Amino acid sequence: MRISQLVLCVMLLLVPFAANHAQQDQPSITQLLNEPFLDDYYSNVVYGYEIVTNTQEHASRYVGNSLNCSNCHLQAGTQKDALPLNVAGMYPKWRAKNGKRNGIGLRIRECFLYSMDGIMPTEDAPEVLAIAAYITYLSQGQVLGAEPEGRGVPTIPDTGYDPNPANGRAVYLAQCASCHGQQGKGLGQMPAVWGGDSYNKGAGMNRIQMAAGFIWANMPLGNAKSLSYQQALDVSAYLNLQYRPADPNDSKFLKLLEHLIN
Amino acid sequence: MITKLLREATPSFTWRHRLDNWRTEIFAGFVGAILVIPQGITYAYLAGLQPEYGLYCAIFVTLFSSLLGTSSMMSGPNTAVAILIGTAVVPLAGRGSPIYIDYVFLLCLMVGIVQLLFWLLRGARVFQYLSPAAISGISAGAGFLIIMASLDSILDLSTFKTTFFYEKLYVILSDAGSLVNPYSFVIGICTIVAGYVGRRYSPRYFIIIAVCAGYICGLLVAFIWPQTETELEYLGRMPLEWLPFAVPTVNIEYLMTSLKLIPYAIAIAFIGLAQSLVIVRELKMETDQHIDLDKEVYAQGVSSILAPFFSSFAGSGSFNRTKVNQSLGATTPLSGIVAGVFVLVLITFLGPILTYMPMAAMAGTLFIVGMDMIKWHDITHYSLVRSELVIYLCTFVGIMFFGLAVGIEIAVFLSISVFLVRISQLDIKVEQSNSEPVLKVKGALFYASVAHLTEQFQSAVGKNLTVDLQYTTHIDQSAVDFFNREAKNMATKENTLTLMINEKQRRFLEKLGANATIKIVMI
Repeated sequence: MRISQLVLCVMLLLVPFAANHAQQDQPSITQLLNEPFLDDYYSNVVYGYEIVTNTQEHASRYVGNSLNCSNCHLQAGTQKDALPLNVAGMYPKWRAKNGKRNGIGLRIRECFLYSMDGIMPTEDAPEVLAIAAYITYLSQGQVLGAEPEGRGVPTIPDTGYDPNPANGRAVYLAQCASCHGQQGKGLGQMPAVWGGDSYNKGAGMNRIQMAAGFIWANMPLGNAKSLSYQQALDVSAYLNLQYRPADPNDSKFLKLLEHLIN
Repeated sequence: MITKLLREATPSFTWRHRLDNWRTEIFAGFVGAILVIPQGITYAYLAGLQPEYGLYCAIFVTLFSSLLGTSSMMSGPNTAVAILIGTAVVPLAGRGSPIYIDYVFLLCLMVGIVQLLFWLLRGARVFQYLSPAAISGISAGAGFLIIMASLDSILDLSTFKTTFFYEKLYVILSDAGSLVNPYSFVIGICTIVAGYVGRRYSPRYFIIIAVCAGYICGLLVAFIWPQTETELEYLGRMPLEWLPFAVPTVNIEYLMTSLKLIPYAIAIAFIGLAQSLVIVRELKMETDQHIDLDKEVYAQGVSSILAPFFSSFAGSGSFNRTKVNQSLGATTPLSGIVAGVFVLVLITFLGPILTYMPMAAMAGTLFIVGMDMIKWHDITHYSLVRSELVIYLCTFVGIMFFGLAVGIEIAVFLSISVFLVRISQLDIKVEQSNSEPVLKVKGALFYASVAHLTEQFQSAVGKNLTVDLQYTTHIDQSAVDFFNREAKNMATKENTLTLMINEKQRRFLEKLGANATIKIVMI
């Protein structure tokens, strides 16, 4: 009894040390980028980082629009309240969206299908494995199963009013159009928010609540949280009314035509 | 010597005088380009790389080896080479990851260096010792591996790892309901059936027919069910560049790890050259092209070295495309050069259409190619000679169970040993003249074959012996020593040893110190 207690004590003492150790040991991305030689795991982490920051170049096989992962996962998935990617500990989990148990692989693949409006890579595609490695890397130090701080986007509280697209249009033209363009096509590095080069109707961003939370917490870039809750909801509703690629789960023929023409 | 090497190292373009029917050449190149696109994509899959690398290989390896070569052989991505690259690099890194690609490039550099060494050492003649049965066995074994690899994609068994093929077949058969993806299976079967039916009507373009049938079947499936349900693997868009220039990473850490790749580099270099030279030798026999074997070795080596600089992997001659090329009437390297350029043009226009190409359709064509590589008439053909059959079956079974590299080692070992056993055998005929035995010796008389002669000498103890050496091709020191010893022994019993030899052999025997007790009769 006593020995087992002693062992338990020693192990409990070691746990924070081990966790601390793991966190300290992990080199930063800039360090990794300057390294001449990386092992299999870290080379995949760097590849995943490159895919997230420049999806158009490194994962163009599966991409159907002009977005990059880091357009929504700001700061390469490290910024809180902007869909951070440190969520490896939460998977596998059940999701209502597809009604099954989702591994991190399936989650990444669905991002390609909906948000990137492309095709699903296979579970063992190098790109998926690299992004999974990068997510694992970002999730170091998180508690398994628990929700990390600032996961996803904040929930907009009930304002008491319906979202008003007409008002949203005014806010969009005043605050957003200088970067995203009057036609929502994006300018330079700024992503398209509607049209054929944007996310499709199956994406999470196409839900008004989700987009409103993202807009309130992060937009306009550099001046975050300057909009009111109601303004964010209005802009989100305005975006939701615009033309964008179809959801691949319905209107398959249209979807196929879209892809063949593009 | 150096001027000869330099002459071989520069493209000669001697074929430009034979360009009277250049239209035929260009058409053959166009057909070759159409054929190589599905092959390049599937072989890149076998090598564990993204499809665009296979296409770059189809463009640049074909281009370089045709520019430097002298024959109408179509080079490019090759099954055996692709499988070997895959098996060599998979233990070092995850398939398709950047570090994996770096290792592939490094491996191809090594392959090129080994092939250039072969060229410098005049290695082209080494491949004459590889028996045709061994080459057929390797090709059949590679076909078997291709079929097994294509099953992965046809049945959609991604992330499925088994050690032995029978294990894989057992798992598939015992758990077919939950493992096999029905959509993918239907597309694969559709492709294979279309391929075999199409071959009836157009044996030349049946691969294209198969691919088209698979593609249309895939479109129908995609029209009815969404991808979230079918879980089909699609080709995706290919970001092809016109000049994909890349510098392979070479630093000390990579080199330390890649020491493990050296045996594979040698095996790939050997197998690549063996296939190319077998093709070239066939071309030389069947057509009247002026083919320089050493120059072909050089062309292969240089294209392997340059491949990593153009984002492609090493290749080799392709049997099926060279056959098509030949049947279309191409006789100069121009068709290969044109094919390389046409691939680039075709892909640029076909790119958007190919996005929705299901990988199951690609794997279906791979299945057909694999079945073609196992030629059943080979077994009946080689079963006439027992040693050939043994080489063929051992190579095939070795590849089935232990992989391509081990199979090639078995093939080389067996063909060399059969060759050695055969060369060390003497054809000895015993004739009686004046009640004294006369031995007529045919073959090479050297240390390994002298033992056969000893038995004959022992059975003729106590008699005068005559040995007729006029059909002997080679006599070495140990044979002369043997004759000296035997002559002395016989002299003690008052018998004599007589050698019947020609002038050249007499001078040779004197040089090697033939004894005076040997009686020599000149013919």
